[in-house]
Amino acid sequence: MELRRASSLELDGGTPLHGGTELVPLLRSGIVQAETLVDIRGVVPRGIDGSTIGAGATLAELECDPQIPDALREACRLAASPQLRNVGSLGGNLLQSTRCWYWRLKWPCRLHRTSDGFGEECFAQEGEHREHAIFENGFCASAHPSDVAAALVALGATLRTNRRELPVADLYRLPSEDDRRTTTLEPGELLLSVELPQTDRSVYLKAMDRKSWGFPLVGVAAARTEGETRVALAGVAPIPWLLEGSLDDATPLPRNAYKVDVARALVKRAVSSLEAS
Amino acid sequence: MHSEVGTTLAEALRDELSLTGTKVACAEGHCGACTVLIDGVPTLSCITLVHTVGDAKVTTIEGLRDHPMVHAFVREDALQCGFCTPGQIVSAVALVDATPKPSTEEIRHAMAGNLCRCGAYPKIEEAIRTWQD
Repeated sequence: MELRRASSLELDGGTPLHGGTELVPLLRSGIVQAETLVDIRGVVPRGIDGSTIGAGATLAELECDPQIPDALREACRLAASPQLRNVGSLGGNLLQSTRCWYWRLKWPCRLHRTSDGFGEECFAQEGEHREHAIFENGFCASAHPSDVAAALVALGATLRTNRRELPVADLYRLPSEDDRRTTTLEPGELLLSVELPQTDRSVYLKAMDRKSWGFPLVGVAAARTEGETRVALAGVAPIPWLLEGSLDDATPLPRNAYKVDVARALVKRAVSSLEAS
Repeated sequence: MHSEVGTTLAEALRDELSLTGTKVACAEGHCGACTVLIDGVPTLSCITLVHTVGDAKVTTIEGLRDHPMVHAFVREDALQCGFCTPGQIVSAVALVDATPKPSTEEIRHAMAGNLCRCGAYPKIEEAIRTWQD
């Protein structure tokens, strides 16, 4: 393996490395293989300028910046641990993979390549799925772990890459039989910045197994603008979940129906806090 | 240093430089035992590739030998098995460098990434609260 510092946004087939909190463990467990790592810290913007945030800003920088809307700031503060937030970037957080233990332990599931294509089973559906998805879990029951992504989807944020601009929600796709990817990011495409539209008020609430340093069992982001409230959830679907229908539409697995109750309580609490303030 | 690309900072410190004060427990960025300071910022050396450190200044527990925080941990008996202690002290030093008199809330927030399986948390909190005594 080689490592070089990026001098431009062209990666020439290399694998981009920023804080490394996600990529390094995946490299060391063999889930990701790379011949060349490209350290992109020098070329990805990292400043915070009003409503524009460089994708290289760390979660630690965002959690204490008064320019940042409450939902995003709180999502950063409640994410991961101090050491991880010190180096983990906004862009990297949006691109993290699921915490599904079958996927992390390299069981040949539908998201993993096998010698002849992809796996043909979701082991969580019949197995241990306490932390898994309650929406869209029929093909792959993984839960998306990003607090930050849920906050940005609720806030209606836009992403700029070296190729295009897109709503944050469009960075994600549900994996399917024909296409197992969970993001729409193309090879060589780099997240550069996030643009936040004006919102009146926002909030992020999170249920974890412990009081701090946990991935979301359920995370609820809500943002209110001109009387309209958008709600997005972390930890409930294979992608960040914009709640357009009702939580009654959830399709929990036998041992994660508790997430529906948790989500219902947190959504109610989040929405009423925005209306009250 | 002659490490191959892919070597972590923790491996380089321990195996090449024989600085074995830095401990590796989970080796995947969860537990905080391997915490070192990179330019003063608490960082997990077990998931930091040594080739990305560049010219930055790395401070390990060996460099904090004479820091009052070490004595505070001893005085308050803030450890049991001691395996997480180097990482705890490194995180605590960074906290009090920025905030010399941290509140309970600030201590708990700053120390959340250092797990102690012996459960010495109340005494760790007390050591940090009284480090200047």
